[in-house]
Amino acid sequence: MARRLYRRTPRISARRVGLYVLLIVVAALFIGPFLILLSAATKPASQDVFGFPPDLIPRPPVLEWFREAWTTIPYARFLVNSVLYVGITVPVYLVVSALTAYPLARIAFRGRGVFFMLFLSIMFLPGELMLIPRFLVMSELGLTDTFAAVILPAILSSLGIFLLRQAFSQIPDEIVEAARVDGANEFAIFWRICVPIVAPTLAVLAILGFVSVWNSFIWPLVVLTSQSKFPIALGIAYLSGVSGTDVRGLAAGTVISLVPVILVFLLLQKRILNSMGGAVKG
Amino acid sequence: MPGLRGRVVGQHWYTPYVFMLPGLLFYAAMFAWPAVIAIQLAFSDYDIVHPVRFSGLDNFVRLAHDPRVWIALRNSLLFVLMFLPLTVVAPLFLAMLVNLKLRAIQAFRMLYYLPVITSMVAVAVAWRYVFNREGVVNWVLGLFGAGPIDFLLDRHWALPTVVLLEAWKNAGLFMMIYLAGLQSVPSDQIEAATIDGANAWQRLLHVVVPSLRPTFAVTLVLSMLEAMRAFESVYVLTRGGPLDSTLTLGYYIWSKAFEDYDMGYASAVGLLLWAIMIVLAGFNLLVTRRRDV
Repeated sequence: MARRLYRRTPRISARRVGLYVLLIVVAALFIGPFLILLSAATKPASQDVFGFPPDLIPRPPVLEWFREAWTTIPYARFLVNSVLYVGITVPVYLVVSALTAYPLARIAFRGRGVFFMLFLSIMFLPGELMLIPRFLVMSELGLTDTFAAVILPAILSSLGIFLLRQAFSQIPDEIVEAARVDGANEFAIFWRICVPIVAPTLAVLAILGFVSVWNSFIWPLVVLTSQSKFPIALGIAYLSGVSGTDVRGLAAGTVISLVPVILVFLLLQKRILNSMGGAVKG
Repeated sequence: MPGLRGRVVGQHWYTPYVFMLPGLLFYAAMFAWPAVIAIQLAFSDYDIVHPVRFSGLDNFVRLAHDPRVWIALRNSLLFVLMFLPLTVVAPLFLAMLVNLKLRAIQAFRMLYYLPVITSMVAVAVAWRYVFNREGVVNWVLGLFGAGPIDFLLDRHWALPTVVLLEAWKNAGLFMMIYLAGLQSVPSDQIEAATIDGANAWQRLLHVVVPSLRPTFAVTLVLSMLEAMRAFESVYVLTRGGPLDSTLTLGYYIWSKAFEDYDMGYASAVGLLLWAIMIVLAGFNLLVTRRRDV
């Protein structure tokens, strides 16, 4: 395989075809499970979901399982909840991260490095380990089983502060100085000049935030008890636990939950893909 | 530092703190305070109903004698061993594949990346179908005269299946990290090696891999930490079973805390996991630093 990857031959079409075949086979491994899910979700009740050889094309494709998933559980409620969780978390996350990162990049003060390390230490406090103590903090604050409990822990991330600090520190001094001479105060410089310049970084963080809030599962599972506050991922787990849910209905419910994330991904794929490698590398 | 030249016009001593105030509050409430509670609980007895009672090292003594902790440790270790080649080696080849200058290559990158952005709960449902006793994987095995296997109900197959799911879901992320690394490999070095008569395999080993050293440092740490904290996949696929064969430390902590309400003990196990993760990260840092010198 490696030989093929590195030799730079002018167009030998057979080689090219071979590479595309390889690319497509690998692609099948990655999207195959999604296609099988879609197939199960659209099969009529008369057609088996499983069996040898696999019979994946629905004859005819039906939509009744989407309706079934929608009515078996309060699906619309879960979707609205997830939209609310994303809609509240992401803007607050961006504002808090930008406010925190700004002085770490652009104001000289004693202990700046210490504060930066403090915020980076979040990396070493992964959510999985914080489940128990955060649950107790939420009980202490009287917030268990509330929207706030789901949102609060997601407001700070080391990645957000790290990337924004980097973006802020790359802003040329002349731009900021010009505004300062004109008498702008620090907040005005931050809000009117620096934030618009780091908009691309904010966009990347917004996308990552959206994906992580939409997919969040363990923490809501721990802190929520009322079904009426479940986000969509919890809803799917709930649907798969409801006895008598048809495999087709479960597939349909899962497909619906995937649609928003996949749509956002398709629309913003360039930005997401380019951010990923860079973010981890940076 | 505001040194001899004095403070910038419009900035006061408190300006940075005003900016950081919300961040510091969230840090205190959602990270520092819980971290203190976590440590405190590890040395206490707490079942949610009765008040917290200090119990010294009891939890750690119990931990050392708890066979399930050892099972979880063994499973986590096996997890790492299976997960590393799938996330540190295989995605490098994926990255080389999508680094080719071909039309529509971006579309393929996107498809390979899709599992990364979808929720574990959703992909786990898909995997149940794929790995079903009468699913596609067993059909393929059947073509070779093997199977069928009840992947998630078989003591020997459940853990590899969970590992495979995690690797499949994360492969695209690791691929993009390698891709960023590959694109910074100086192409003149590769060309020079080609002129010297190195074949593709030699170029990979002697030019590409050495220059990707910093990238390997990142993927290695990420991979180990991902494997150690694996929880969601276990929760949605197997719940630690069958017969504890997929019991990981993360899942054990969760089940002790939120099924048995044995919060103190669960926190002690959590501290163990935390220590392991920090040691792994520190070890990686040391190894990669030394190589750089």
